[in-house]
Amino acid sequence: MTRIPLRPLARILEARAKGENPDAIERENLRRRHDDMRDRARLRAEGRLLVLAGLFLCAFLVVGGRMAMLSATEASEPRAQAPGASIAMARADILDRNGRVLATNLATHALYAQPPQMVDPENAALALAQIFPDLKADELLADFTGSRKFLWIKKKLSPEQKQAVHDIGEPGLLFGPREMRLYPNGSLAAHVLGGASFGKEGVSAAEVIGVAGIEAQFDEYLRNPANGDAPLMLSLDLTVQAAVERVLYGGMKMMNAKGAAAVLMDVHTGEIVSIASLPDFDPNDRPRPLTQGDQSDSPLFNRAVQGVYELGSTFKIFAAAQAVELGLVNPATMVNTKGPLRWGKFRIRDFHDYGAQLSVTDVIVKSSNIGTARMAMDIGAARQRDFLATLGLLEATPVELVEAAGAKPLLPQNWSELSTMTISYGHGLSSSPLHLASAYASLLNGGTRVQPTLIRPTHVTVGPRIVTAETSAIARDMLRQVVVRGTASFGEVPGYAVGGKTGTADKPKPRGGYYDDKVIATFASVFPANNPKYVLVVTLDEPVETSGPKPRRTAGWTAVPVAAEIIRRVAPLMGLKPEIAPLSPTGVTLTSN
Amino acid sequence: MSYLEYNVKFVPTGLRKVLYINWVLVILLTSVAGLGFLMLYSVAGGSMDPWAGAQMKRFALGMSLMFIIAMVPIWFWRNMAVLAFGASLILLLLVDLVGVTGMGAQRWIDLGFMRLQPSELTKITLVMVLAAYYDWLDVSKVSRPLWVLLPLAMILVPTAMVLRQPDLGTSILLVAGGGAMMFLAGVNLFYFIAVIAAGVGLVTAVLVSKGTEWQILKDYQYRRIDTFLDPASDPLGAGYHITQSKITLGSGGWTGKGFMQGTQSRLSFLPEKHTDFIFTTLAEEFGFLGAASLLAMYLLIIIFCVVTALQNRDRFSSLLTLGIATTFFLFFAVNMSMVMGLAPVVGVPLPMVSYGGSAMLVLLVGFGLVQSAHVHKARQK
Repeated sequence: MTRIPLRPLARILEARAKGENPDAIERENLRRRHDDMRDRARLRAEGRLLVLAGLFLCAFLVVGGRMAMLSATEASEPRAQAPGASIAMARADILDRNGRVLATNLATHALYAQPPQMVDPENAALALAQIFPDLKADELLADFTGSRKFLWIKKKLSPEQKQAVHDIGEPGLLFGPREMRLYPNGSLAAHVLGGASFGKEGVSAAEVIGVAGIEAQFDEYLRNPANGDAPLMLSLDLTVQAAVERVLYGGMKMMNAKGAAAVLMDVHTGEIVSIASLPDFDPNDRPRPLTQGDQSDSPLFNRAVQGVYELGSTFKIFAAAQAVELGLVNPATMVNTKGPLRWGKFRIRDFHDYGAQLSVTDVIVKSSNIGTARMAMDIGAARQRDFLATLGLLEATPVELVEAAGAKPLLPQNWSELSTMTISYGHGLSSSPLHLASAYASLLNGGTRVQPTLIRPTHVTVGPRIVTAETSAIARDMLRQVVVRGTASFGEVPGYAVGGKTGTADKPKPRGGYYDDKVIATFASVFPANNPKYVLVVTLDEPVETSGPKPRRTAGWTAVPVAAEIIRRVAPLMGLKPEIAPLSPTGVTLTSN
Repeated sequence: MSYLEYNVKFVPTGLRKVLYINWVLVILLTSVAGLGFLMLYSVAGGSMDPWAGAQMKRFALGMSLMFIIAMVPIWFWRNMAVLAFGASLILLLLVDLVGVTGMGAQRWIDLGFMRLQPSELTKITLVMVLAAYYDWLDVSKVSRPLWVLLPLAMILVPTAMVLRQPDLGTSILLVAGGGAMMFLAGVNLFYFIAVIAAGVGLVTAVLVSKGTEWQILKDYQYRRIDTFLDPASDPLGAGYHITQSKITLGSGGWTGKGFMQGTQSRLSFLPEKHTDFIFTTLAEEFGFLGAASLLAMYLLIIIFCVVTALQNRDRFSSLLTLGIATTFFLFFAVNMSMVMGLAPVVGVPLPMVSYGGSAMLVLLVGFGLVQSAHVHKARQK
C-alpha cells in the first residue's frame, strides 16, 4: 500500500511558482487518501459479505439436501430391541393332502398391566370388568393397587377387545404381541391336530407348544426355524374328513351310541385319509382333561387310536385267510360247525345254529364262532400269534400321534389254546380301530404290509409280503360275500363292491365279565372288493337300534349302515367311479360237493 | 456515510416513500406467514382456534409496525440504536426480577395483551447498536483491541443474561448474529480464528465437565447433546422429538400427504407441533415440494437483503440490513437443522411460521428497519 504524500514537494514548489495556494493540493490529496481508504474498506466489506453469503448458501444446500434425503427415505417407526425376541415365533402351518390349511398362526395380543404406571386403577378395573365379563373389578383393583409391578390379565385378545382396552386410555395397560395357533376348521380333525398352548411367555413374544396329537408329535419340527416355515402336509383330506365326521355323527345319534370312531385308509400306502373320533372338541379351545371318571369318556379321548376294544368277529377273516394261506383249507372246504364247542368248562356258541357244517366262505359269511375256532385250532397258537404280529396287531401302531405309543393292544397273558380259539373270533385280544384298519389294509391290498401314517409320504414303498395275492383275493371275496348275502347286507353301496366283516363284541365290565346289553359294534370294510383302494373301519360304542320290536345291537344293524353311508358319501369325493363288479370274482369257483 | 451524498443524490420524501418500499419483500413475508397460518390451521385440526386466528392478528400488527418504521428515516433509527439497546438490556434485567415462568424458564414479561420476550427484542437492538457502532467508528480503528472489546461486551452481556433464563437457542443466535456483524464490519480475521479456537476449547470443557461438580450446562442440555449424537438411543424418551420429527419429515415424501392429511402431527405424535416443530407438519403435508418452496422463499428474502445492502452506500443501513438478514437466516437455519436432526434441539422457532407473538413482531420490526434503509438509501437522480 502506497500512501499518497499529502504535500508532495515538487507540486508545492510548482504551485508556489504559479502563485497558487498549495493548501488546495493538500486538501485534494487528503480527499483522495480518504476515498482510497473507504474504497478499500468497502472492498473488504463486500468480500466478507460474499463469504457470508457463501456460508448461507452452503447452509441452504445442506438443509435442502437433508430434506430431500429424508423425503426419499421410507418412514419407519423406531423399534426398541425387544428383550424377548429370542423366543422363536412362526410355527409352521399344517396342511391337508391338498394343501388346505388345518392349522395356522394368527397375530394377536396378550394384555398385561404394570400397576406402577397406572393413572386411574379404579377406572381401569371397572372398564376391564366390563370388557371381559369373566374378570372381577374388585379383584383387578386389588391387583392394581397392591404391591405387584406386573401381571398378566388376558392371554389372547380379539381385535375388538384390544381396541376396547385401548380406548380405556390407561397407560399402565399394555399389549404384548402374540402368535396364536388357529385351527380354522374348528373341531374338524380335532384329535389328529391335538392343540397347542403357550409355553415360555415374555412380554413381546410367547412360545407356542403343541400339547397333543400331531402338534405335540411334530412340535420340534414345527417350531424349528431351520425348516424355513415349510408347512407340514398330512395325509388327511379335509373334504373327506368333514363328510366322515358328519355322517359318523349322524349315525352315532341315530344308533343312540355314546361314542363312535372311523378310520379310512389307503390300502396300498397306509395313508390315513380320514380318522374321526366322537365326541370331539375344538382344538382352538381345548377342554381340560377329566379329573374324575373314565378318561375314555372325555372328548379328548381318541377312540380310533387310543380306544382298545375287543373287536369281535371282524377278526375271523384273519383266521380264515391264514388257514387258506397255510393250505389247511380252501374257500369251499367244509368245516364242522356243530355246537356248542366245548373246551374244558368253556363253551363256544354261535349266534344262530348253522347246522353241522359250513364251507369256509360261509363260516365268514354267517359269522360262525365255532367254525372259526376249529380253523384256529388247526392253525395253532404260535402260528396264529406270529400271523397277527405280522399284521401289526400285537404292538402299538407307529402312527404319528403322541397318543398312539400308549395304545398297546391288550394280549392274553398266556396264549393258550383257548385264547387261540377266542382270539380267532375277536375276543381276548383288544386293539384299536386303527390297528384293525391297518391289518385289513395289509391283508387285503394283495398281501403286503402297510404301516398307518398321517403324513403324506414322499415315495411309496411296498412293505413285506404277508400272504400271497391269491389269499388276499380270496379273503376279499369272502368279505364281499358277507355284504352280498351275509351279516352286512346293509353295507351294499351300488357301484363300489363293498366287502367287509361285522363284529359285535360285548363290552367287558370293569371288574370282569361282560355286559349283556352293551356292545362295541364294528364294521371293517374294503372297497372296491375286486380292486381294493380303501379300508374303512367304523366302530360304535354302545349302539342300540330301536326301530324294530326289539332293540338291536349287532353291527349288521348299527355300524354297517353307518359305514355304508360314509362310503356312499366319500367314495365320489376320493375320485372313485362307481362300476359294477364282475359277478364271479378272481380265480375262485364255488363248487358244491 | 457521507451526508454529502444525500445532497447530490435523490432520497424519496413524504408519501412518495410508499412507492420505494420493496413490495416484493412484503409479498414474500406475507406468503411465508400465510403458509404459517395454513399450518397452524391444519395442526389445530382444521380450526382457526387456538392458533391461526391469533397469529393472523399478530401478523397484522407486525405488518403495520413494519410500514410505520419504514416511513421513518433510517438516520432516526441510527440515533435511537443505543437507546433501544439500553432499553432491551433493562427489560432483560426485569425478566429476571418480575418475569413469568413458562416451560421451566423465565422468558416473558406479561404486558397484559401479550407476553413480551425481551430476549427476542434484543436480537434486533443488538444488530442496531452494532451497526451504529461500526458506522460511528473510524474504519482504521476497527481491528484495534480496545475497539474490538467494546462490541464484544455488547454481544456478551445480553447473551449472558439470556443464558441465565435459560434460553440456549437465543444465546446462540445472539452470539452468531453479533459475530457475523463484526465479521462484516471488517474486524481482523485473527480475532475470529482466536474465538473459534476458544469455542472449540469451550465445547471440550463442556463435554469434559459433564458429571463433575463444575458442570457447565444443565442435565437436560447434556441430554439434548447426547440425544443429538444418537437419537435412536432413547426413541421414547429424550430422543422422542428428533425421532418422531424425522419420521414425520420422511413420511411426507416428495409431494406430501395433502393439506390437513398429516397424521403424525395431527395425531399429536409430535409435541411443540405448532411452535418449534411446525416445519415437520409442513413437510408431512406438502412434502419435499412444500419444504423446498419455503426454503426458496427464505432464500429470496435473504437475497433481497444482501442486494439492497450492497447497493446502499450508507454504512449503518448496509450493516443493519445484513445483520437483520443474518438473524433471520440463523433463525430458520438453526430451526430446520434441529428439526432434521442436523443440530441438537434448542428452542428456536421457524421465523414467520411458528406460533408465537414476540418472534414474529420482532422480525417484522427488523424488516421494517430493512425497508427503512431501503427506502432512504441514496439513489441516482
